[in-house]
Amino acid sequence: MSTKLPAPVTHVPADEEPIAACPHCERPFRSVHARDLHVGEVHGADATETESERYERALETERDDLWLFHAKAVIGLGVTYATSVILYMVVLGGFL
Amino acid sequence: MSESADGDHSREGGRRTARAVARAGLRLGPWPLSVALVGTASAHAGSLGGATASATVPTWLTVLTGGIVVGATFLFTTLLTDHDAMRGVNWWRVAVPTPANVRRGLVRLAQAVSVGLLALVLVTGLVGPTTSTRNFALLFVWAGWWAGYTMTTYLVGNTWPALDPWRAIAGGLRWGLATLLDIGASRRRDERSADGGVATGRRFALGSASLPEGWGVWPAVVGLLSLVFLEVVSPIGTNSRALALVVLAYSVVTVAGALVYGRAWFDRVDPVSRVFATYGRVAPVQRDADGISIRLPGTAATEEILPDRPGETAFVVALLWVTTYDGLVSTPLWARLLTPIAEAGVPAVIVYVFVLLAGFGIFLGVYRVASREIRERADTYVTVDEIERWFAPALVPIAAGYHVAHFLGYFLTLAPALGAVTLAPFAPPNTVVLVLPDWFGSVKLACVLLGHVLAVWVAHSLAFELFPGVLAAIRSQVPSVVVMVFYTMVSLWVITQPYVAPPFV
Repeated sequence: MSTKLPAPVTHVPADEEPIAACPHCERPFRSVHARDLHVGEVHGADATETESERYERALETERDDLWLFHAKAVIGLGVTYATSVILYMVVLGGFL
Repeated sequence: MSESADGDHSREGGRRTARAVARAGLRLGPWPLSVALVGTASAHAGSLGGATASATVPTWLTVLTGGIVVGATFLFTTLLTDHDAMRGVNWWRVAVPTPANVRRGLVRLAQAVSVGLLALVLVTGLVGPTTSTRNFALLFVWAGWWAGYTMTTYLVGNTWPALDPWRAIAGGLRWGLATLLDIGASRRRDERSADGGVATGRRFALGSASLPEGWGVWPAVVGLLSLVFLEVVSPIGTNSRALALVVLAYSVVTVAGALVYGRAWFDRVDPVSRVFATYGRVAPVQRDADGISIRLPGTAATEEILPDRPGETAFVVALLWVTTYDGLVSTPLWARLLTPIAEAGVPAVIVYVFVLLAGFGIFLGVYRVASREIRERADTYVTVDEIERWFAPALVPIAAGYHVAHFLGYFLTLAPALGAVTLAPFAPPNTVVLVLPDWFGSVKLACVLLGHVLAVWVAHSLAFELFPGVLAAIRSQVPSVVVMVFYTMVSLWVITQPYVAPPFV
């Protein structure tokens, strides 16, 4: 699915050489990983075989990192929920 | 319903009284969670035969809970990472067939009605009864239009381009003038050709003047801040004569501006049109290229970023700030802080202007800093300006939620009076105001929270469109969520404060 939003305006600082750029739309990226994901997401239909492979690999990396992030988010949610319940119990119980 | 509110309103106007009534309900009413919790607690206590005193949730906990809900919403949305599924939700739409001639007919009808209402506001404002709750102009402009109608622009859809009486008048005048000039020009041409001269046909082009591009939509930002300032410090909220004069002045300026600058006036200068257009971005009914479609609330804001013009972001930020400002100056804290300053001899109006501008500056600054942080966290070359424009639509649901919280009670309180006076604007009966139940206060808090929750979703969706992958998009949202948590808490605090009419003005 292609995006309905326009390509964003980018600016590379004068003293910096972009690490990667999209071969299809020339958008510069700060990491090869981000470029590979972008090519797969936005230019998936025109991507070469190598690009598709790189996209798959980048997705794999994302999945691993995301698992860890989600674990943290779920723990965060649980802690927030428990803390709120205890806080309400304390306040409504008149201990505070 | 209370007894007639048609008492002595010479000092305190109906508008402010009603707001005080609306807020008083909140002061007495506990927050929804407390209702639920207290309810269960006493039921259990009853069954056990014990006696427990019921407790209410203190304000600080209400405010903190709001912050927690927004933070938790963010954590929850990070679990939703299927971009295609998100687009499925955001792009869902049902097209409503609207034949062009039906639409044109409805617009003509709406324009006729709205021009009639504008005339009625001017007449009743100038010669109608001066009692606030019996004056059609005051009730219609504040309760009917600024509170009630504005709510429809984000809850239903932006119908203002069809209803705008000034656009209709300007359109009519332009057509009339163009016809006259055409006749004049062709007559001159006839005379000249009779003389054997060359027909130059120099025609005065209406609406062709152009505003400097560099101004962007800053004129509308200035206009919005000025309007809200006028609303807060001048007596137009309670004095129908003053209101009618302001409406008249606004009409003259708007129609003249529209005649000189054409459509650009409503797009870049007229703050009223821009407010409704901005609110309309989150409405379920949207106008597309091929007619009208129905969307899920808020999802239209995920598909359109702000145009690259100076002041576009500033306008959305200003809209958010003025709703906060309007609430802030009617809190007891404001009255307490302002009293010593005013007693020291500083004119209160200057303090009001200063806080209006300073607060706007702070809001803009915080938004800028958050956008810079987003850029850093997402590790991207996308410019800060672009990030500001990209995520600005996510601020609109927050402003809308706050607007409901601020004005729904006010609208409902005065709705019976508005209805009665509309039926007989020239001989209004004594009117009643609605007294809202205690639990209404919790509805307001829920509206503020709902606005923020929707904003988290819109920002989450927009981040997925801007940054490749999942993690960069999620990480980029942390700065805006931190800002949002604090802003929610400030808004909730303002909403829970009892109403005090802005002092010294």
